[in-house]
Amino acid sequence: MKAQTSEIAFQSSQMNGMNVHILPTAKFKTTTIVTMIEQALSEEHVTKTALLANVMKRASARFPETKLLRAHLDFLYGAIFDVDVMKKGERQILQIYMEVPNEKYLSKEDALLEQAIQFVGDMLVRPYVQNNAFAEKYVTQEKEALRKRIESLIDDKMKYANQRVTEEMCKGEPFSLLVQGRVQDLPAITGQELYRYFQEITTTNPINMFVVGDVEPQTVADAIRTHIPLARKAAGELQLGGATKQVAEEKEVVDRLDVNQAKLNIGCRTQVTYKDDDYPALLLYNGILGGFPHSKLFVNVREKESLAYYAVSRLESHKGIMMIMSGIDVGKYKRAVEIIKEQLEQMRAGNISEEELTQTRATLSNQFRELLDSARGMIDFTYNGVISGRKRKLDELLAGIEQAGIEDIKRVANKVAIDTIYLLRDKKGEA
Amino acid sequence: MQTTVFEQVNETVYHETLDNGLQVFLVPKQGFSKTYAVFTTRYGSIDSHFKTRSGEEINVPDGIAHFLEHKMFEKKDRDVMHEFSKNGASCNAFTSFNRTAYLFSCTDKLDDNLNLLLDYVQEPYFTDASVEKEKGIIGQEITMYDDNPDWKVYMNLLKAMYQKYPINIEIAGTIETISHITKEYLYQCYETFYHPANMLLLVVGSFEPEAIMKLIRENQTKKEFPPAPQITRVFPEEPAAPAQEKIEAFLTVGLPKCMIGIKEKETGLTKEALLRRDLTTKLVLDIAFGTSSAIYERLYESELITDSFDFDYSSEQDYAYTIIGGDTPDPDRLVATIKAEIAQLKQKGISQEEFERAKRKKIGHFLRSLNSVEFIANQFTSFKFNGNDLFSVVPTLESITREEAETRLQEHFLEEQMAVSIVRSASPQE
Repeated sequence: MKAQTSEIAFQSSQMNGMNVHILPTAKFKTTTIVTMIEQALSEEHVTKTALLANVMKRASARFPETKLLRAHLDFLYGAIFDVDVMKKGERQILQIYMEVPNEKYLSKEDALLEQAIQFVGDMLVRPYVQNNAFAEKYVTQEKEALRKRIESLIDDKMKYANQRVTEEMCKGEPFSLLVQGRVQDLPAITGQELYRYFQEITTTNPINMFVVGDVEPQTVADAIRTHIPLARKAAGELQLGGATKQVAEEKEVVDRLDVNQAKLNIGCRTQVTYKDDDYPALLLYNGILGGFPHSKLFVNVREKESLAYYAVSRLESHKGIMMIMSGIDVGKYKRAVEIIKEQLEQMRAGNISEEELTQTRATLSNQFRELLDSARGMIDFTYNGVISGRKRKLDELLAGIEQAGIEDIKRVANKVAIDTIYLLRDKKGEA
Repeated sequence: MQTTVFEQVNETVYHETLDNGLQVFLVPKQGFSKTYAVFTTRYGSIDSHFKTRSGEEINVPDGIAHFLEHKMFEKKDRDVMHEFSKNGASCNAFTSFNRTAYLFSCTDKLDDNLNLLLDYVQEPYFTDASVEKEKGIIGQEITMYDDNPDWKVYMNLLKAMYQKYPINIEIAGTIETISHITKEYLYQCYETFYHPANMLLLVVGSFEPEAIMKLIRENQTKKEFPPAPQITRVFPEEPAAPAQEKIEAFLTVGLPKCMIGIKEKETGLTKEALLRRDLTTKLVLDIAFGTSSAIYERLYESELITDSFDFDYSSEQDYAYTIIGGDTPDPDRLVATIKAEIAQLKQKGISQEEFERAKRKKIGHFLRSLNSVEFIANQFTSFKFNGNDLFSVVPTLESITREEAETRLQEHFLEEQMAVSIVRSASPQE
């Protein structure tokens, strides 16, 4: 029994200067409202955007105390609320996430949907401001919280290695920035400056709002018009860093920390991004190489040689980067690099079995179909289309995955080049 | 096939116990694309001392349940993961303290995938060579966990709380303990714990229940099983008091990590009583330490905690504990402050308003988690193993009173039951 692919059919329109996308579906017991404010990744803005996300969620004009604000969310049947930043290629996205139960499942009647939209409006239009500035108390506390968060990156050695290789690989490109910003920028940011920045991005930067749930689109639209009256200017074009860059020479970087397991990360440039015709072939390339338990990296690094517990490759599709990641015994470093390079070579030569291709098509298609069961998944898929400027339908992408063949994958493989080999290792032994 | 309708959450559960003793539960989800199936045995890392089929009492090496889970994927003539991949399914498995679960999710070819799942878990194939090879892979998995400060602070807290009960042992074992694992041990464990009568199969998602039940029935009827063994597990008697007050460890971290554990004195609860205590304790924890609580506000504003601060209560028949903590610049002050705050809260008690709010929040969060077939799949089984129904969480929550919460606050949050675990950097300059 094959699940039918139903399209991810958001109804899109302009409301109060924002792009609003509504998807009515009876599948979920909650309503999800996600607002994305887009900013160009840059040294100038990165820390401010991250700090702003933290400060915004502390208070609003209606709930000037954090405790009151959180109590209100609890009262809305434990509404899930967060403001955070994420990196998509050369963009930094400030995201306001809100999710409330659908009234249908509650014994008491409550206008939860409207209250949720009102709450999002509080964030965007009615922040807690004193003398034209965000409250000093929250700015100070959140600077400290953000500093700790940046410094805690080192706790997770996998993430740490990933950020370090990105920094080394993309030196001079905005993409090298950590999305939470830089500690050295924090002292100079004031409540006043942050509020001015808030006004700027809520007025001129592109805003996309997504609503998914068992909702009446008209009710949602009315509530947005009423509760989120943004005074928008025409959204300007963001000045983004370039996505692709040719590799001049292969770099090797070694860091040392007190670790038991060494992390080997190999950053590659693929020269293919989300908007390109070769994107489905890139997905297959990555899938065959290291996306799944049947992939070349897993089979050769883990199963054949027992060198690692994990050996995978992951794409950053807006930037066109592929990251190969593995946790190894440091003594096996050279052997691991050798095997990984062999796999890249196999891909270039098109040494891909019919079975590898069929398995990867099937598992990739499955991954994309699974998005249909998650509000978050459908929103991300659609938003990737919005920001890349190439709005693929799900069926179109699935067809692309079915149609791309060995020749297409080979073509992609021959564009992929290793940029930086990074090793995070212990402090013992020789360099 | 029995049918149970849970009206309030709009879910229906189909159930049948097969002739070989296997319990099957089906939860169809309207409108969903994917299906998720989990095949679970009541066998985890704590079951390392038991009687074999022949009645011999044995101790097996720590980490063997997890090792066995890894080895189930390898067969004489095929690789299970590749078979699932061909059908587009993604498969996985995990081992916890008291269960081992094998699972897949798919949007296509459910029949094939279900047969595959049932067949590979019911067909052990271990060789000396493949057991040796796996030691390298699991060795790297263990080393990865050794570098993970969140895991370290959690495991050390269990060690601080539990003197003898084997949840104080690493699920994957250590490189030393797994070096003693042999294929003979694996077969002994398999034969003891993988009989269908000790297992539960759950399927959640997009399918016709009658057809799927028929497929499962037919798959099982074709196979022969010996009579279900009487499983005798041997556990040491665990004293009520924690093992030690504090454990400290050193790893490279941005900020120290600190967790406080509260070990439950009373064990042995089952079914409704266990669920009720579990939910009530979680409500009390949320009232005390949730993001809208006065305590949270004070801790956050004094910069003693970060947004990594969290808390949870875990409960099983034989053990139950609360964990509170996160990253902090000053572990000792955090511990002292939390202890003082708890003492104050016990004096002050819980107000009706706080209680109602926490209840609403819990109900909302539970409804939200029912959007996820993964959540249902993973939680349903552990509820069943404890004799409970996942879908009766909402009515149970609704029936809990403020007075019960108050009693729980007084009886659970005892200073003499507390233990602390800290992980910090060896030298802060690094």
